[in-house]
Amino acid sequence: MRISTNTIYQNGTSRLMDLQNDLSKLNEQISSGKRVRSPADDPVAAARILELTNAQNMNSIYTSTRNVAKTSLETYETNMTSITNVILDAQSSLVSAGNGSYNDQQRANIASELQGRLDSLIGLVNTKDAQGNYMYSGHQTGTVPFVLNTVTGDIDFQGDTEKRALQVDVQRQMPVTYSGTELFQANGNDLFGTLQDIISLLKTPITDATTQANFSNGLADTMTKVQGVLDQVLNVRADLGSKLNELDTLDVTGSDMELQYTASISKLQDLDYTEALSDLAKRSTILEAAQKSYVQTSQLSLFQFI
Amino acid sequence: MSNILNIGKSALNAAQIGIATTGHNIANASTPGYTRQVIVQSASQAQNFGYGFVGQGTDITAINRVYNDTLAKQLLNTTSTSSASSAYYTSINEINSLLSDSNAGLSPVMTKFFSAVSAAAANPTDVATRQTVLSSANSLINRFSAVNERLNDIRKSINTQVEASVNTINSYATQISQLNLVIDKAMSTTGNPPNDLMDQRDLLMSKLSEQVKTTVVKQSNGNYDVFIGNGMPLVVGDDTYPIYAQASSTAPDRIEIAYGDRSAPKIIDSATLAGGTLGGILTFRNETLDTVQNQIGQLAVTLATQFNDMQQNGYDLNGTAGVALFNVPQPVATSSANNVDKTKQASASFVPGQSQQITSSDYTLKYTGGQYNIIRNSDKTVTSTATLPITVDGIEFNVNTSTPAEGDEYMIRPTQGAAGKITLAFDDVEKLALAERVDANGNVIAFKGAGDNGNGLRLAKLQDTANVRMLGSNGNRSYAQAFALMVSAVGTKTNEMMVTSKADASALEGATTAMQAESGVNIDEEAANLLRYQQAYQAAGKMMQIASQLFDVLLQLGQ
Repeated sequence: MRISTNTIYQNGTSRLMDLQNDLSKLNEQISSGKRVRSPADDPVAAARILELTNAQNMNSIYTSTRNVAKTSLETYETNMTSITNVILDAQSSLVSAGNGSYNDQQRANIASELQGRLDSLIGLVNTKDAQGNYMYSGHQTGTVPFVLNTVTGDIDFQGDTEKRALQVDVQRQMPVTYSGTELFQANGNDLFGTLQDIISLLKTPITDATTQANFSNGLADTMTKVQGVLDQVLNVRADLGSKLNELDTLDVTGSDMELQYTASISKLQDLDYTEALSDLAKRSTILEAAQKSYVQTSQLSLFQFI
Repeated sequence: MSNILNIGKSALNAAQIGIATTGHNIANASTPGYTRQVIVQSASQAQNFGYGFVGQGTDITAINRVYNDTLAKQLLNTTSTSSASSAYYTSINEINSLLSDSNAGLSPVMTKFFSAVSAAAANPTDVATRQTVLSSANSLINRFSAVNERLNDIRKSINTQVEASVNTINSYATQISQLNLVIDKAMSTTGNPPNDLMDQRDLLMSKLSEQVKTTVVKQSNGNYDVFIGNGMPLVVGDDTYPIYAQASSTAPDRIEIAYGDRSAPKIIDSATLAGGTLGGILTFRNETLDTVQNQIGQLAVTLATQFNDMQQNGYDLNGTAGVALFNVPQPVATSSANNVDKTKQASASFVPGQSQQITSSDYTLKYTGGQYNIIRNSDKTVTSTATLPITVDGIEFNVNTSTPAEGDEYMIRPTQGAAGKITLAFDDVEKLALAERVDANGNVIAFKGAGDNGNGLRLAKLQDTANVRMLGSNGNRSYAQAFALMVSAVGTKTNEMMVTSKADASALEGATTAMQAESGVNIDEEAANLLRYQQAYQAAGKMMQIASQLFDVLLQLGQ
């Protein structure tokens, strides 16, 4: 076949250019460590990487939400431990108040002891969390939950019974707040009212059988109610524990998934260095050979011999 | 005796012309478009002397170029195919790199925005967390806007390329028509082909084919008549019929191709202008650029509208009903410049609560036979109605005042460029509506308090809800999925164009090699020819020397 001199040069240079292109692409891959540098390199993998990255991000959003949930639940846990202790203290005061040998003065002492307990309980239930929100006032986070009504003398609940839920996983919204009224004033067991009542009973001198009976009945009633509240608090603490457990389990699943996503993304995106480097060596050899043969063939000309 | 000298002279002459032609070939070995020339040599008419015919030497009857019409036609075709796919590939590659750029991609900003919303939903009363939502919303719309701006740049550069291409095509057409005239004259006066002029004309044809696909019809007098598109004549003899770069009748910022009457050329359907750089970039604009820019607009509009709708389902930190966070641009409606009744205008607006219906398509509103036809351009789905307004795909279409003239049409672009026009409606962090206002049954309820995050959870949930409509696929997709699908579609097309342009380039190389094999100059061959003609010249000289010696013999006879 006839071949034109132009074709010889053109074919030679275009082969060299193709080889150089391949090499430069390989170089880019090797220096970035990524096999998929743009969607065109592998469209299916590129879309999959985007989806996996998004899933990974969602996963890390849930992880950080779980941390918020944990902080919240742990704050309640600490707070309720203190509340439990104060209630236990109050219970022992109540037990000693039942001592029939106590005189009015001794009962008055217990009354002021109980008043102290009541005050610290109110202090505890009116605590704010790290964000400055009142813990027990439901959604009314800026409102003090329990306030002494100066007219009636009662301790009124100012919050609501709403609970804030957090999205701790794809399908799981976990309530992470507790309403004060449900804990301390539910089922007729009004912790504060009961304590107020017994304090005023303790302050009332026992003069006859009626006052004696009133006191005994009142004390028994208080013991039952305070125990009721304590049970409630302990139930909630059990609930807290199980929620924290659940969060731990979700965390384990979350970090497993995180590992899995990272592995899948890396598998799709990252370069196989062994393969790439051997490819690089192969292509460099080919380019070198092509350059040599180009120089040699282009030197051939009949004119050299005329 | 003089007979012998004449034979020698003709041989010398032929060898000289042979050497000149060979020299010309060598000189033009690398001239673009040059085809090698050969001399056509034949024996002169012999003379009858009674005892037989005595040869009278040699004649050069013609100098021809070696040219094969079929191969040339093949070369023109592969040239325009290859130019088209390479122009398409170059352009789509810009979008491909834009989408893969981690600084310009939309995925990270969408994720950041929704992370901030999730964090705010977890701490509804924390002002700093709310501030993060607003600042990430700001970077979200800025990124959308930046991507849109890059796409607009590509659009502008296509306009420039179209204009340049049109000028080039017209200039080549003029040059071809002038060469038609000159070649025709040379042929008719001398009867010989002006080879180098013909090479020049073929080179122009090849350059023209780089710009647009052409059809050449060779006339009996050797003239080239050139047609483009659906048989539109560009060159007929020594006349040219230019094409024009003209703004689209419905979109002034879109340069289209017009043809016809010089005073009022009509815009032609760009799909008919296949091939060449021009065909390549026009196809890229129709197929990829419009689609991508519309899809990004659709994603921006859908996300912003759905976030706004959800905002309105909530109470803000102060218990006031939520308001829209994003200002979302309404669809753009333009009247066709060809409309009879210029006073009428179309309008279109997104219907609240129907954002899941919004598509990435453009729409044509056309009034024919007493009916308003809403045509979804992407798949040509038509919805007809006798009265307006009508809601199609979450968009209410309308025409102001009375009926338009028959055949008038309007272009409605709901999403193109929308990604660049979204702004933030407020910068007061307290206005984020994280508290629940509409309950699960759709009833408006009272404000529950600042600690309520019910609506915040729903706002965060938007990110993995299938909210974006994908035409041609059943079921909606989440924002991230919609974006991933778009990236994958661009990637697939880029990959396809890379493969196609490579294949087309090697087809072009094949056609060039075939053409060159026949018409190209081979220096070694010319060297051999040079030797041949040199020897012929030397032999002819020797013959004349012998003739002269014979003459001397005769002259010596008288001494």
